[in-house]
Amino acid sequence: MSLSIALTKGRLEKKTVAMLDQVGYGTQNLKDKGRALVFEDTIKPVRYFLVKSNDVITYVNHGVADIGVVGKDTLLERESGNYELLDLKIGKCKFCVASLPEKKVFNKVGHVKIGTKYPNVARKYFLDQGIDVEVIKIDGSVELAPILGLADGIVDIVETGTTLKENGLVILDEVCDISARVIVNKASFKLKREEVLQFVQDLESVVKSDADTNQ
Amino acid sequence: MRQIRLPLGMRDLVFEETRKKRQIQNRIESIFQSYGYEEVIAPTIEFLETYQKAFSSLKEQEMYKFFDAKSNTLALRMDMTVPIARICASKYKDKEGPFRFRYCANVFKVRESFAGKRSEVTDCGVELIGLDEQSDLEVLCCALDTMQSFQASSYTLEIGNSSFFKKACALLKLPEDQIETLAKLVDQKSMVDLKTYLASLQLSKEQEAFFLELPLLNGKDGLENAMQASFDEELKEIVRKLQKLQENLKSLGYEDTITFDLGKVPHLDYYTGILFEGYVEGVGTSVLSGGRYDHLLNTFGKDMPAVGFSVKLDYLLDVIDSVSKKVLYLYYPMPKQLEAFQKAKELRKEKEVKLIPYEGCEIKIQEGVQ
Repeated sequence: MSLSIALTKGRLEKKTVAMLDQVGYGTQNLKDKGRALVFEDTIKPVRYFLVKSNDVITYVNHGVADIGVVGKDTLLERESGNYELLDLKIGKCKFCVASLPEKKVFNKVGHVKIGTKYPNVARKYFLDQGIDVEVIKIDGSVELAPILGLADGIVDIVETGTTLKENGLVILDEVCDISARVIVNKASFKLKREEVLQFVQDLESVVKSDADTNQ
Repeated sequence: MRQIRLPLGMRDLVFEETRKKRQIQNRIESIFQSYGYEEVIAPTIEFLETYQKAFSSLKEQEMYKFFDAKSNTLALRMDMTVPIARICASKYKDKEGPFRFRYCANVFKVRESFAGKRSEVTDCGVELIGLDEQSDLEVLCCALDTMQSFQASSYTLEIGNSSFFKKACALLKLPEDQIETLAKLVDQKSMVDLKTYLASLQLSKEQEAFFLELPLLNGKDGLENAMQASFDEELKEIVRKLQKLQENLKSLGYEDTITFDLGKVPHLDYYTGILFEGYVEGVGTSVLSGGRYDHLLNTFGKDMPAVGFSVKLDYLLDVIDSVSKKVLYLYYPMPKQLEAFQKAKELRKEKEVKLIPYEGCEIKIQEGVQ
């Protein structure tokens, strides 16, 4: 039985394809992709398609894709009900709370507003801290929110911290680590167990250990 | 402009879809009937309280709720198991079991927006009330026969036992909140987060290994591996019972379509023994689900063990072949209307007849396929 695999476009794409390459998958079509959206593996009975991270979850939810590669940030924001079998340890970054140095977020008396692309993650984090905040959803350049006074602080993905620094923001707390995960549709796991586990094992064999990636 | 639309998650079924649905419904119901289940009909609306009594962790936000004239909170039923438990505990209060109920009814759940999910689906199922785990085999056979009747290209029924996880947690004396987190991580097979979480608990290496292995105790050697992973006689006993079930199902000829998964742990407060789910190629979610719930009836005041399952008919529509049927078109001119009706009456004894008035001179009959 063949497998359909949804890959996240963009940031994770190259690294995922490189890993597939290493374990003998035929990713030629994925590299010279032109305008195509669906790509047949040139070696194994596998079909890939490239979509936005949120859509990876949607396609896997519906079983249209058996397997998906997607960032933990997207998975945390949206509970998916799929199996999450592997950490690829690529696309590593962190969810952080950040703000301007002079702004108070954690010890402000009064109404606290948090700007974020990830409202569910932000709300859960602050509730776990025992702080009731108002979350304002922002779609891009989240750093602007505290600068312009829309929010007291932000919850966002931080990879190197450069963007924050350039905008004069400081990290107040780290929420959690993020990296790319392999998710599997439940029905696919039951009906194509051998194929799915083989794919996961193949990738697992080239997942870098923490020691390697931190170098 | 007039806007015509449906509420979120609601669907109309047009002729062909309806025909498909009824056909699959008939197949399923005839199997239920052959196992001696009797149909009951319950109201669409229940008191919310009835559901609150049944589930300690009821997701109220998933229910359609409204009020009656006395401000009681009402709800559209979200399943049929709870109404049937209510019926059994009230209407059959003084009767001796066992009871075999079957039903085919629409159930409702509020769904997230824009996710392509149905808020109303037809649930077709059975509840066997009053028999203990000895009857697990019977219900599994019925579920497997039902799955076969879908005539899908490939399908599997996956069987687990909710006691396996619960017993392991109890033996290790884990606190409630840890059990809850573990249950979720194991059921979701979140291997990464599970590992991180286990490391944060004060468990021995062996215990950690047990929980880490749990989500993958499935597939061909699932039960064998589960036996090896079992660190206590009570856990081994649960696996032994599943092995016995496997053996029995094998000798009844069901071997190829069953698998086992000890890493299934949904609805902690509901299922008490075996639980199972049926999957069909082409559908991304389970189409059949069920299990043993020995405590539910007690919440309605009648202490009886029970087991059951149901099929979500609507999930099957995409993978079932469409059915065509033959009809006769009877064309007639107005002056010959009575003659035409006489003829149609004769023909209807054998076939479906559609009368169509037309401008010609003679009565004309054509065969067609719909």
